[in-house]
Amino acid sequence: MRHCKQIVDLVSQEMESKLPWSIRMEVKMHLLMCKNCHRYAKQLKFMQAELNTLEQNLNTVSLAEPAKERIKKTLTLAINESTND
Amino acid sequence: MTQQSPETWLNDYGDLLYRYALLRVRSETTAEDLVQETLLAGFVSWDKFTGKSSVSTWLVGILKHKIIDFFRKHRHEVKQIQTDELADDILAYQFDNEGNWQVDLVEWDMPDTQMNQQQFSKIFNMCISRLPQRMADLLFLRSIENVPMTECCDLLGFESDNQLWVTLSRTRVKLRQCLNTHWFEQG
Ligand SMILES: [Zn+2]
Repeated sequence: MRHCKQIVDLVSQEMESKLPWSIRMEVKMHLLMCKNCHRYAKQLKFMQAELNTLEQNLNTVSLAEPAKERIKKTLTLAINESTND
Repeated sequence: MTQQSPETWLNDYGDLLYRYALLRVRSETTAEDLVQETLLAGFVSWDKFTGKSSVSTWLVGILKHKIIDFFRKHRHEVKQIQTDELADDILAYQFDNEGNWQVDLVEWDMPDTQMNQQQFSKIFNMCISRLPQRMADLLFLRSIENVPMTECCDLLGFESDNQLWVTLSRTRVKLRQCLNTHWFEQG
């Protein structure tokens, strides 16, 4: 039987790759019986979902005005060049 | 569909693209450059836009490629993993010698209002920025961008798949711990 520390690693790996059936079953059984690992697994799933949409919610971070101006200039230049061709 | 102007894209999606890039490359100037390259690439390849997805999704798709290219270019700067980087201490303090939890995990109250969500995202961003660089890179490249295992190992200097899995798991332990302390335990 694996202990919680090993289950924690397996729960993480399972999010990215397919584990062998027997190991998946063992993790499943462990999560049914162990409150802490169950919570841990749930919290990892929540973190993953948040990570997926973080750039949409992080509205305190934005392009600085000078950078915006600089990019705008470069874009205008590139567009003009391409229409002159 | 009529040709859209990259200047409009800059106004509409510039911040979103910038945040996306900044989270991954952790450098403001690099993130700004990536936004510019993305908008230029979008302009050049506009005829390939099918309209099946939104313009912002399409631009983020271009940006993803640019970011992975960036990691490829800087591959040679990735240092070999030091043994202390993989030290067990991150996990150790949460488990006893037999590998069982030392403390009980508290149930998380998920952020429910929009106000809460924005505050939470700020904390989440802070916790990511506190991760060691390689851990943060791994988290994004592997678990968000789904870069294949072999390339992930190559780009980030892991010697085996197992080393990568173990590090990714510890990254999540660290991140969870930080969120728990700075958000969920602050009632
Ligand atoms: Zn357990």
